[in-house]
Amino acid sequence: MKNDVAKLAEYIFEKKRRRRRQLARLPFEKKIEIVVELQKIAASIRGDNRGRVWPL
Amino acid sequence: MERALSVINEMMHLGLIKNYAIGGGIAATYYIEPILTYDLDVFFIPVKEGMEELAPIYEFARQRGYAPDAEAILIEGFPVQFIPAYNELVQEAVLNSDSVKYEDVEVKIIKAEYLTAIALQTWRAKDRERAIRLLESGAVDRAKLWAILEKFGLLDRLRKIEEAGDEK
Repeated sequence: MKNDVAKLAEYIFEKKRRRRRQLARLPFEKKIEIVVELQKIAASIRGDNRGRVWPL
Repeated sequence: MERALSVINEMMHLGLIKNYAIGGGIAATYYIEPILTYDLDVFFIPVKEGMEELAPIYEFARQRGYAPDAEAILIEGFPVQFIPAYNELVQEAVLNSDSVKYEDVEVKIIKAEYLTAIALQTWRAKDRERAIRLLESGAVDRAKLWAILEKFGLLDRLRKIEEAGDEK
């Protein structure tokens, strides 16, 4: 049981690593668009204007 | 963003700064997955050493109508933080930067090996995480990184990061 959980966790972590590597291969311009999306998400969560959303 | 980057290039061509390279979160984003960041960090080699390193930059910004925004300057709507190359490692990183394209603008960006070395030198939690991500990304040439870390006495920090265990 313990072994299965560890295997499942490793499987999930490997998937996450793969996803990060995929994102790392995106064009720079696309990555900047994603940064701006992250800024928008952060602003909506915080509900204040700390940290400006870039005007792409 | 290309307009802001063009303005930074213009500052170098006008001789307000000797050289520059983008560092921080945006440079990291060039090599790894996108990360949340708010400032465009520009490490620069000043024309003159001393307390007035930022003066020509702020004067240029004032003339162009770019307002200061906390520690940054808002250039075409982007908060650009100008940071003088504050030690030998950062100076070397700026001088050995790569030229990359953003849209049609050539920009100078700190190489992955130097970015990792700077993160290891700075050593805040977010820098350690950034170093791990960079190491994992495959963008870092280990031999080059090793040489830089050896030169600046930072090999122990790489070992600590690696001993800290498998990053998930």
